[in-house]
Amino acid sequence: MANVVQPLDQPSNYKDSQAKVDRKKQQDFLSKSSTLYIGNLSFYTTEEQIYELFSKCTSPEDGGGIKRIIMGLDRNTRTPCGFCFVEYYTHAEALACMKYISGTKLDERIIRCDLDLGYAEGRQFGRGKSGGQVRDEHRTDYDPGRGGWGAQAQLERRREFEERYADAQEGPGAVATGGGEWKATEVPTTTLKRARSPDDDGDISRLGHRSRLDDQERDGM
Amino acid sequence: MNYDRPYRGGGGRRRYRDREDYDTHDRRREYESPEQILKNNIIRLGEVDPVQEVPRLAKQLQEDATSMLPTISEGIRIAVTEQPYKIPFYAALLRLLHGPSSLGTDTSTAQPSSSVGKQVLEDFWKGFQGYLDKLSWRDVRLCIHFFAHLTVAQVISTESMAALLQSFAAVLDEFGVSYGRGKHAALCASEGLMIAGAVIQKSLSSNTAEIIAAIHGFNESMASSKNIVQPLTSLTSGSSTVDYADELLDSVIAVLKALEASEFADPPASFPQPYLEYEDLDPASSPPFELPSILVPPEVIELDGLPSDGGEDAQVKRDEWPEFWFRLFDNAVTPDPNTVSGFLIRSNLRDMIDIFEVNRKECARLLLEYPKWCVLGTFKPRAGGPAVEDDPSANNWQLESVIIEATLGYLFLLPEPDQKPVYFIALITELCKLSPSTVGPAVGKSIRRLYSCLAEGLDVEVARRFVEWFAVHMSNFGFQWVWKEWIPDLVLPENHPKRTFMRRAVESEIRLSYHERILKALPEAMQDDPNVIASQQPGPDPEYEEPSHPYHDAYHSILSLLRGRSRAEEVIAQLDTLKTTLDTSHTDMHVDSTIRSLAIQSLLSIGSRSFSHFLNAIERYLPLLRGLAVPTDLDAKRDILVATAAFWKRNKHMIGIVFDKLMQYQIVDPTDIVAWIFNDTPSGNDIARPVYIKAFEWELLKGALDKANGRVTIARKKVAALRKEQDDSIARAKASGGADVGNMEVDGEMKPLKQDESATENPQLTTALKAFTSLTREQRSVLAKTLEGFVSCLSPVPGDAHQNTHSKTVIEEHTWERRASWTNEEWMTWETWGWYRHFCRLYSPYLRNYSTTLSTVAFVKIEGFTTPTAQSIKKIWDIATGQEA
Repeated sequence: MANVVQPLDQPSNYKDSQAKVDRKKQQDFLSKSSTLYIGNLSFYTTEEQIYELFSKCTSPEDGGGIKRIIMGLDRNTRTPCGFCFVEYYTHAEALACMKYISGTKLDERIIRCDLDLGYAEGRQFGRGKSGGQVRDEHRTDYDPGRGGWGAQAQLERRREFEERYADAQEGPGAVATGGGEWKATEVPTTTLKRARSPDDDGDISRLGHRSRLDDQERDGM
Repeated sequence: MNYDRPYRGGGGRRRYRDREDYDTHDRRREYESPEQILKNNIIRLGEVDPVQEVPRLAKQLQEDATSMLPTISEGIRIAVTEQPYKIPFYAALLRLLHGPSSLGTDTSTAQPSSSVGKQVLEDFWKGFQGYLDKLSWRDVRLCIHFFAHLTVAQVISTESMAALLQSFAAVLDEFGVSYGRGKHAALCASEGLMIAGAVIQKSLSSNTAEIIAAIHGFNESMASSKNIVQPLTSLTSGSSTVDYADELLDSVIAVLKALEASEFADPPASFPQPYLEYEDLDPASSPPFELPSILVPPEVIELDGLPSDGGEDAQVKRDEWPEFWFRLFDNAVTPDPNTVSGFLIRSNLRDMIDIFEVNRKECARLLLEYPKWCVLGTFKPRAGGPAVEDDPSANNWQLESVIIEATLGYLFLLPEPDQKPVYFIALITELCKLSPSTVGPAVGKSIRRLYSCLAEGLDVEVARRFVEWFAVHMSNFGFQWVWKEWIPDLVLPENHPKRTFMRRAVESEIRLSYHERILKALPEAMQDDPNVIASQQPGPDPEYEEPSHPYHDAYHSILSLLRGRSRAEEVIAQLDTLKTTLDTSHTDMHVDSTIRSLAIQSLLSIGSRSFSHFLNAIERYLPLLRGLAVPTDLDAKRDILVATAAFWKRNKHMIGIVFDKLMQYQIVDPTDIVAWIFNDTPSGNDIARPVYIKAFEWELLKGALDKANGRVTIARKKVAALRKEQDDSIARAKASGGADVGNMEVDGEMKPLKQDESATENPQLTTALKAFTSLTREQRSVLAKTLEGFVSCLSPVPGDAHQNTHSKTVIEEHTWERRASWTNEEWMTWETWGWYRHFCRLYSPYLRNYSTTLSTVAFVKIEGFTTPTAQSIKKIWDIATGQEA
C-alpha cells in the first residue's frame, strides 16, 4: 500500500562505516534483518523498560519473541550511553517496530528505530572520541536524560545505572545469544551431573575462558 | 525531496547531513517517468478541490488515453483501492471519460464506438478479476463501491451491477461456507446495495430482496457464535445482542431492512455524488458498460500434507468470528452504525486504518482530513473554519469522537483484531499529537466510558487491552491522568474489575517508566494503597537473603561461586556436597526441592541486574540448569518455576520474562508452565483453595501456549521448505532427462522417484518431520492441559484439590444482578470464567484441530454432568470449536 503514503518500515540511509560488506549486501541483510538499532534513549532507561515496550511488537504465535537486548555502553565508563540493539526472532517483528514504535516515547523521550545489520562483537560500545555516542560529542543542548544531569532528583536511580554494567565484557561471547531454535533433546540419564550436550560446547568453552571477576563485590545482593 | 523525508523523526536531519555514516548516494532525486507523473496526478486528485479538479483531470486523460491507457486504469485502480474516501470523485471522473469527448475536434477518437471510459473500465476489470482470484476481499469490496457509484452515474448497466452483487450473495448459500468467507461476501453485496440500491430497486426490486434475504439467512445461522465474542460478557444469558456494541452483520441487516422498507428512498446522505451534477448521458451514443459475469472463486485450501496425530489437519485458519464494534458515544455525537451513513462512514474509516497501517502518521492526518470527502454538514465544522448556515439536515457529528470510536472499536474486536494492538495505540498517539485540543477530550471521554463499563461486565480481554492502551498512551503523554476522580472506587473489593484496572494500569505504567515517577503522579489516597501501587519499587526478593534463614549460608556459598564465574561443573559439585550435608543434618523432607530452589535463586540473583545479565547467567550455567530440570521429572521443573515466582514476587514482569527464556532454552516446557499455573500438584503446605486465573496468570498461560504453537509453526515451515527444495531437485532431475540422476541415486540406476521414498532419503527432512511430530504432540498436550485446568478450577468434582463454591453462582443471572455486593472471590471466579471463554475463542483454530481428543480427555471428569458449570463449560467449548453453529 505504498502508492499513496511512504511506508515507515524502510531502513534509513545509515551505513555502518565499520561493516565489512558492500552496500548491496548491506541492503540485502537489512531486508531480512530481525535486529533494530534504537536511538535517543535516556541514559537511565533500563532493558526491562525496553523489553516492555518492544514486546508489544512480538509475534510469539509465529515463533517470534525478543531474542536479546544489547545495551549500548560508553566504551570507557561502562555506563549506558543512549542506544541499544533489540533483536527479535523474526524480521516481521522488527518491521512492526519501525511502523508502530519508532517515533513514540519511551521514558518520556521520542526514540528512533532503524533496521540494523545485526549485532557484531564490539558494537555495544559507543564510537565517539570520549567513549559515548558520536552524536553526543557535538551536542550543545542541555539534555538531562543523556548525561546533562546536574542536580537531578533521581540520585538513587542514577547510582544504580552507573554500576549496573560495570561488569560488561568485551570479546567473543560477551553477549548472550538469547536462546536458539527448538532442538530435540535426548533424555539424560544422570540427574544433577549431566554431561554437556554437544550443542553447548561452543558457548560454554568460550565462557569458561573468561575469568574477569570485577563484578563480584558490586552486586548489591 | 527524498532527503528530508518528513517521517524520519525530529531533530536529526541537520546533524546527520555531514556524517559519513549516512550515505548520501541514494539521495538523488528520482527521475519520474511520464507514466509515473500521470499516475500521481490521478492518485492526487482532489488535493485542493475535487469538484473542480475532476473535469480538468478528465480532459488530460482524454489526451493521454491513446498512449497510456494501461497507466490510466492502473492509476485509477490504485486510487480506488487505496483511497476509498475519494471513490465518488473517481466515479465522476469515469463518467466524464465515458461521455462524449470534450476534445472538440477529434482525430484521436478514431473508434467512436468505444469511449475512453469504456476502455479504462475494460482494463480496470482485469485488475478487479485479479483481486477476485486472490480473494483479496478489501480490494474487491472497494472496486464494488466504485462500480456502484458508476451504476448510479449511468456508466455501468444496472442489470450487470445487480448480477454482480447477486454473485456475492450466492456465496452465502454455498454448502459449508466459512464464516469469514460469508462475512466478506455479505459485505461486498451489502455495501454495493447501500450505494446503488436505489437504482437497482427501481428496475430490479426482486434482486435487492433476494440479496437481503440471503444475508439475513446467513446471519441468522451464525447467531450462537455471537455470544462468546461480545465485548460485554454475558455468562448468564445466551443473548446474541448486547448494549454498547453492534455486531457488523446485524448492522448490515438493520441498514438494508430500513432501506428496503423505504424502498431505497433515502440516499446515502453523507456521500457526495458529484456525477449527478453532470448532464444525463445519451444511452444511444454512450451505452452503459456491461460488467462481465463472475463466479467468486472457492477458497484455496493449502494442503501441506503434514499429518498431525490421527490425521487431523493442523492448518490454522483465522477470521471466523462475528465482529462486535464497541460504541462509546451517543448517536448525536457519532453516527449510528445501523444507518446507511453510519455504516459506510465506519466502513471507510476501518479501511483507512487498514490501508495506511504502513504509516500511522499519514493515517492520522488522512483520518483528520476525512470530512473533506463528505457532504458538508456531515461533521461539525472545525473551530475557526468557514461557518455553515444553520442547516436542519446537518448531522454535525464530532469527527474526533468518530475516529477514536472506530479505532478503539477495532482494537477491541474479539478474539483479536487484524492488526497488532500497538498499532491502534500508536495511531491514537499520532492523532493526539496532530490535534491535541480536539482529540484529547475524545480520548478522555472514551477512557471514562470504558472505565464505567468495567462494572457492567466488560470482557476480560477487552479490559486487558484497555489497560495496555491506557498505560502506553499515558507513557506518551507525561502520565497525566486525573486519577483522583477514581478515588471513590477505592472502597470496592481489590478484585473488583475497576480496582483491577487501577492496579494493572499503574503496574504497566511502572514497567514503561519507574516506580517513583508513577507514584508521584498519583493522588495521596492512592499512593498509600498497596492495592493501587506497591510501597517500594519492584525488585528481586531472594528468600534466603534473610540472615536468620536456615539456608542463608548455603545460599551464599553458591552465590559466591556464581559471582566468581566458576565453571558449571564446580557449582554442580558444590550443590552435590550441599545435598549430602542437608540429607544428613537436616530434617528437611524435600532436599531436592531445596537444592533446586537455592540454585535457581542464586542464578536469578546474579542475573537480576538486567535482562542481559539474566541471559548471560542462564547461558553460562546451562549444564547446571539442565541437570536441575530433568525432562521427565515434573516436580523438578515445578520447583524451578516456584523458585522463580518467589524470587521475583515483587516484579511480575520478570516472572514472565524468565519463564519465556526458560522455555526458549528448553529448561522447562510449555506444559510445565501450564501445570504450574493450574497448580495441579500441590506440595505439602498448600491448602486446597480455589485456583483463579486472572490477567497475570492469563499472560503466563498465553506465553506458554504461544510458545508451543509458534514452535509448530516454525517446524511446519521448515518441513515445507525442505519438501519444496526436494521437489525442485526432483523436477530438475526429471527435466534433464535423467542424465544427472546418477548423482542423486546411490546405485546410479534409473528408477521412478516416489514422494514417500524420496522423503525418507533426505535426512534433513526426516529430522524435520520428527521434530514436527514431537512439537505437535507438545502442542496438543499444552492445549489439553489448559483445558483440563480450566475444567478443574471452574467445575471441580468432589475430591478435586481446589474447590470453588462460587463458580456456579457467578454464572447465574440473579447473582450477577447483585454483583454490587460481590466479594473478591466472586470477582476472581468471574474473571476465571472470562479467561476460559477467551482461551476457547482465541485458540479455537488450534482447538478445532484436536477437538475430539481434547474434549475426551478434559471432559472425562464432568462427562454426563448436568450441573450449570459443566453445561456452561461445554457450551462455550462447543461454540468455539464449531460444534454448535
